[in-house]
Amino acid sequence: MKAIADYLVMMRSFLKILSGLFLFIFLVSCSNEEKPAKVSVETFFKNPQQSNFQISPDGKFISYLKPYQGKLNLFVQSLTSKASFRISSFTDQSVRNYFWASNTHLLYYKDNGARENFQLFSSIYDGSKTIKISLKPDTKVTFLDYLKYDSNDILLAINERNPENFDVYSLDLKTGKKILVEKNPGSIIDWIADNDGEIRMAIGSDGVTETLYYREKGSKAFKPVKSSNFINTLKPIGFSSKMHHIFALSDINRDKKAVVELNCLTGEETKVLYENKERDVLEVSYSRKSQSLNFAVFENPKREIYFFDKQLKEAFADIKKKLSNDEIRLIHKDQKEQHLIIRTFTDRDPGSYYFYNLEDRNLMKLADVNPDIKPSEMCEMKHVKFKNRDGLEIEGFLTLPKGRGSKNLPVVIYPHSGPNLRNSWAYSPEVQFFANRGYAVFQINFRGSTGFGKSFLKQGFKNWSKNIQHDITDGVNWLIKEELADANRIAIFGYSFGGFSALNQVVYNPNLYVCAASYSGYINLFTYLKGFPAYYKPYQQMLDVLIGNPEKDVEYLRYSSPVFQTNKIKTPLIIWQGGKDPKVNLSETNQFVKELRKNQVEVNYIVDKTEGHYLSDEKNKINFYTQVDLFFDKYLNRSK
Amino acid sequence: MKAEELRYRKNFLLIVVFMVLISVSLIVALFLGYNFTRKYVENEFSSNKIEVLEQTLAPFNTFFQNTVPEVSFYQGYLDSTSASKYADSVLQQYRFVERIIFYDAEISNRPIADGLTLGNFSLGIKNVFRYGRNISKDSIVIFDNSNPGGLSLNNAEELNKAGLKLGNYIEQADTTQALSEETIFKTFYNIIPNRITYMNVPRREEIKVYKDLMLKKLPPSPRYQQDIFTFELNPYQLVIKNPHPEIYQFINIRKQSFDPILEKPNLLTTDISLSGPFADYKLYFASEKDFLIKEVGRRFMPIAFGVFFIYCILALITFLIYRNLNINQKLFKLQYDFINNFTHEFKTPVSVIKIAGNNIKSAKELSEREKNHYGKILDEEADRLNDLMNRLLSFTQIENRAIKLKNEEINLEVFAQNIIDSFQIKYKDYEIDLLIKGVETFKSDPLLLGSLFDNLIENAYKYAKPGSKFLKITIYRFRKNIIFSFEDKGIGIERKEIKNIFKKFYRIQSQYNQQGSVGLGLAFCKELVNFMDGDITVTSKPGIGSHFKITLPYDK
Repeated sequence: MKAIADYLVMMRSFLKILSGLFLFIFLVSCSNEEKPAKVSVETFFKNPQQSNFQISPDGKFISYLKPYQGKLNLFVQSLTSKASFRISSFTDQSVRNYFWASNTHLLYYKDNGARENFQLFSSIYDGSKTIKISLKPDTKVTFLDYLKYDSNDILLAINERNPENFDVYSLDLKTGKKILVEKNPGSIIDWIADNDGEIRMAIGSDGVTETLYYREKGSKAFKPVKSSNFINTLKPIGFSSKMHHIFALSDINRDKKAVVELNCLTGEETKVLYENKERDVLEVSYSRKSQSLNFAVFENPKREIYFFDKQLKEAFADIKKKLSNDEIRLIHKDQKEQHLIIRTFTDRDPGSYYFYNLEDRNLMKLADVNPDIKPSEMCEMKHVKFKNRDGLEIEGFLTLPKGRGSKNLPVVIYPHSGPNLRNSWAYSPEVQFFANRGYAVFQINFRGSTGFGKSFLKQGFKNWSKNIQHDITDGVNWLIKEELADANRIAIFGYSFGGFSALNQVVYNPNLYVCAASYSGYINLFTYLKGFPAYYKPYQQMLDVLIGNPEKDVEYLRYSSPVFQTNKIKTPLIIWQGGKDPKVNLSETNQFVKELRKNQVEVNYIVDKTEGHYLSDEKNKINFYTQVDLFFDKYLNRSK
Repeated sequence: MKAEELRYRKNFLLIVVFMVLISVSLIVALFLGYNFTRKYVENEFSSNKIEVLEQTLAPFNTFFQNTVPEVSFYQGYLDSTSASKYADSVLQQYRFVERIIFYDAEISNRPIADGLTLGNFSLGIKNVFRYGRNISKDSIVIFDNSNPGGLSLNNAEELNKAGLKLGNYIEQADTTQALSEETIFKTFYNIIPNRITYMNVPRREEIKVYKDLMLKKLPPSPRYQQDIFTFELNPYQLVIKNPHPEIYQFINIRKQSFDPILEKPNLLTTDISLSGPFADYKLYFASEKDFLIKEVGRRFMPIAFGVFFIYCILALITFLIYRNLNINQKLFKLQYDFINNFTHEFKTPVSVIKIAGNNIKSAKELSEREKNHYGKILDEEADRLNDLMNRLLSFTQIENRAIKLKNEEINLEVFAQNIIDSFQIKYKDYEIDLLIKGVETFKSDPLLLGSLFDNLIENAYKYAKPGSKFLKITIYRFRKNIIFSFEDKGIGIERKEIKNIFKKFYRIQSQYNQQGSVGLGLAFCKELVNFMDGDITVTSKPGIGSHFKITLPYDK
């Protein structure tokens, strides 16, 4: 007995020493944490080599897009033999998207990026028998993958008859001939077929109110099931094995989006399959094979998965075990739902694509998203909370640069676009780029962000320049109060709505930021409103609620639009504008910059004539971020 | 080439010529300066008008470049309330905008009662409003489409022009390209005298739609909002900014046809045309001739002063050079005299030696007395030569600070008495009194001090009439110094000469120094005293006597 007691005492003291030793090592390693080497702009922002992985319906081939002579082309790799094929050889334009139409056929299209000059092709997996499907110019095609894979026909939604309306066609893959199956009465925006390739559901929209239509098997007439407006959500997921029942994502009569079962004849919600009291369900995976649900995903604050399907739950656990607990996203699965393509990621790792076989649990790496990023050099993204001026708790993510401590740091505020989008815990090239340059990066899920329920989202309505901006400002002040930020070295960078926020911040908080960057930021809400088909009455109502009425709310819209507030801007700016941006008018931005420069405000103004709202060309993108790098370096690395 | 003649040259003529030349230059410079200033002011009168134009038109340019295009920012959404707000801010800010007419227009392919129709494309009018400073509330609305057909031709004119320009553009618009600034200016602005009409620039997407409306047969389209503004301008309300009130006495805005020559012939005038909507007008500048001459004078003053100042400096330098040359000439003369004297001085012992040598050589036999006699003569004269050379040498050495000062304890009583004794042996009629008060010894170089005593005692004897060869030497301490005072009853020194006596080679011309003097004595003394960190002063009254006072530091 005594020997055991002695042993225990000895063990305890040993453990004490050991833990002390660990603490020591930890402290040493912390204090010695080195500033990582500067990673080049190209490394962060170059286009991925391989992307858009898919698996053939029979699970025998993997397909992906890869650059060939500077443009993305379609490639197929056999899983059973070493054979690989290049399906397309376009040198003028990239393959925009593709689709496995059957076990042997692939459909793919290219366009000029602005969905102009659209061309559709069909090929066999080895690249042979390519036919160009004849379409009227300016026609667009959407894939409806609801058909039997072994058949020779496929369903497509094509707007050939009327550019506004997509009709359903059946396409013969061998001949390229298409037959009109379902004519659009004018308001249908989406068609959903059942496992037999019969169109059974449709979503109609007047732009604001979405109505779910359903018809029984063999019936002609669609009946409306339920409507949801822009405030509510009702999104069909798939048919349930129960007659006349479907799965849907709905927040009708509740605040958070939940997975429900809906009776299509009565329109009643018959069952709540999964509901999280704090967060919206963000995505749901559906199994066509068994007409059941696989899993539902929400973020609290990291990605969490609720499994309906036991086999997948085990499979994910197995994958997680094999991949040191990285986050997993299901990308594609084959018809038998035995072979998966997944993508992993963490906050520091853009991740990789893997092929996983559910039968033998074999995991095979396909490609890294960005093999040049070394996760060990990247920075940790931390979830933070603060109280805004109205006492509401606002969440966000804070990424601190490595080896620079956690006090008095230069900070880049990076508001997300949308505003009805969200910041997630994941790898972001922008965040890691700024952190690598030695800046802390702060992302805020301000009011109006998604994932926190309907009422939180609604607080962003017609509050683009009020509630939303207040939350950003409060977040910045919180960072200063916590002594994380050096109050004299705070910058703000945003894309689209984020750019609008950046400009709004410098208009109404001229002393808070040393500089700001607007990447396609909205500068005029009148123009933004004009971008919607405003003659459509329902749209008008929606916009009145979401943004404001251009005739009744002139003062508010003037207040919100940076283009009217040039006299208040004193902060140096970097502005990027696409010459063909439909959302932000080039000549308006020119005028805006002209006035700012007249007021002696430093503006680094970059216009890329051929680009739209988003930087698609790699060279232009790298140039822009290089300029941002220099610009921020000038203001954020100034000695105090 | 003839070798340069080395002789002393006169400079007076040169200096006179130089002075005349710079004086002439002064006059020429003043004359040219005045003329250039006049030309410059005249030039400014015609060139500074651009600056006036720029400053006067600055508010208009802001209006034209910023305020007018602001209409586009509203994307056609302006209605009576918001347009009136905009118009009020314009009217308040810019006095030269007299009146604003706002056409709330809409574009569609529907038939319209009032407006402009081009094929299927129609530019209809909803309302027309008029805003101005003195427009009563009820006359703001000049047209309302609830009362169709009521649009007067006058009011429709600007609208039609704007509509035609838009239609013309849309017909051939390249909707794949972004609108260039040039196209915008050509299409959406209409500028005529005193009036600017502007239509908000639609986005690329609208232009596409408008093009379809015009060229295609489509079902009745929605109505697209366009805002058209006409700004009526009054150039006389432009606030003239005169940044050069010293040049332009009057600036006005006049019609292009205005010609003032007939009215006031004595007026200097110029003008510059306004542009854009003010092309019918010009800025008219005028100044009276006297006003400009005054300005020329004002600008010329500093130039004249500067030139004159330089002239004065040149004159001063010339004077200084003249003075230095004069001094150099005197010095040259002094040195010349010195060499003369010195040669003379050397000559005496040398000739004595020569005579003695000759005598010895020609004598057949020398008696003991003769041998002694000649030996003594040779010895004495050699000593005298040696002494002369030593004196010359030590003087130059002291002047160049080339010797080292000894520091020996001297008993003053013994030291002074020895010197006095030797003089009294030499000059039987010399009476010297010595008085030493409160001091016994003094640390110094006995040789140098001896030289001082020798020189001053010798001088006192030399420059005294027979019978009054008397010297009183007093040595005493005064504060931290020791003072050697030499008071004689000699001929004294004229007041004007006193400042010269310590100079090298200077000798007072008198019967007393015909020989045996080189004019170095007092200069030598001065150098010695300076070398010993002391001072020598003199007070003197001609005919009564001189009093030399040497002050040397006692505690070193």
